[in-house]
Amino acid sequence: MSEQWRLVLTGENTAFVNMAVDRAILVAHSEGKVPPTVRFYSWVPPAISIGYFQSLLEEIDIEACKKYGVDYVRRITGGGAVFHEKELTYSLVIAESHPLIPKNILNSYGRICNALIRGLGRLGINGTYAPINDIVVDGKKISGNAQTRKMNTVLQHGTILLDVDVDTMFSLLKVPNEKIKDKMITDVKQRVTSINHVLGTPIGFDQVASAMKQGFEEEFHVSLVEGSLTGEEKKLARKFEKECFSTTAWNHRR
Amino acid sequence: MRYHSIYKVPHGKLLKISLMYDQPSRTIHDVRITGDFFAYPEEAVERIEQGLERAIFERDHLKTKIEAIIRTQKIQFIGVDAEGLTQAILNCKP
Repeated sequence: MSEQWRLVLTGENTAFVNMAVDRAILVAHSEGKVPPTVRFYSWVPPAISIGYFQSLLEEIDIEACKKYGVDYVRRITGGGAVFHEKELTYSLVIAESHPLIPKNILNSYGRICNALIRGLGRLGINGTYAPINDIVVDGKKISGNAQTRKMNTVLQHGTILLDVDVDTMFSLLKVPNEKIKDKMITDVKQRVTSINHVLGTPIGFDQVASAMKQGFEEEFHVSLVEGSLTGEEKKLARKFEKECFSTTAWNHRR
Repeated sequence: MRYHSIYKVPHGKLLKISLMYDQPSRTIHDVRITGDFFAYPEEAVERIEQGLERAIFERDHLKTKIEAIIRTQKIQFIGVDAEGLTQAILNCKP
């Protein structure tokens, strides 16, 4: 019988809850209290997450976010700013010592991205890993990923775009130079794609989640068994939400 | 005075540096390293910022200092390296 990992479907949540839940699973798994866990989730209201090392005020137009009702949050992972709207977001939490996870960080990005590539394959989409942390289809980005390693545990989370609205994204993000903003928008439109665009027909979150579940199972030769967060994880998530991710001290720290 | 730079590391990520530069002593202060790179552990970047306090604004000096911190703190960077950080800091040159 294959190894069993937990699959957690938390549905729609705020940016603060979403980042708090990933961190809570990381802590719970590091203490040996829960199995390796794959989680699928989405963001309501839409939100921008920024990388751990990014400057909030340099990346995000706060006033525009308020105007459009878009939240913003700093991640515990590095990487860039992401506008989370029409997408499936996943996270994987697993011990650094797990034999299926390469010790080399870049190799482990590739291995985990392979699960997503297999998932895309299930949908009839031919994706390839584009180091450092992207998956592309015909050279266009369809997925961005970010990983941290803390407490001997790997947390990798990332997005798979169902649809993309580059114009809205650029109205929320600061650009270094307003004069070239139109050119940047044109460039990004040429460099980013989505599942709906590739397939030419809209497809639901659940269908993508089901394909990604199979992708993880095939890549790692495990069974993902649907479960829920433990009481302790929920409690920890509420604590992280309140004391970290929803606070100015955290979000404006850089 | 505070100076800034934005530097795309070759084959890597975007680095943004902000620092104070003291002309008479040719030293840098209050260095802030931001960008879309990855570092393991993440907190170690703050140790580089602190370790560069009063560093002399000179390529070899900066690079040696950054390499020493990366070594002692066992930092793994992805999308940036000591050379990239040094260049981004030097790009703040008034």
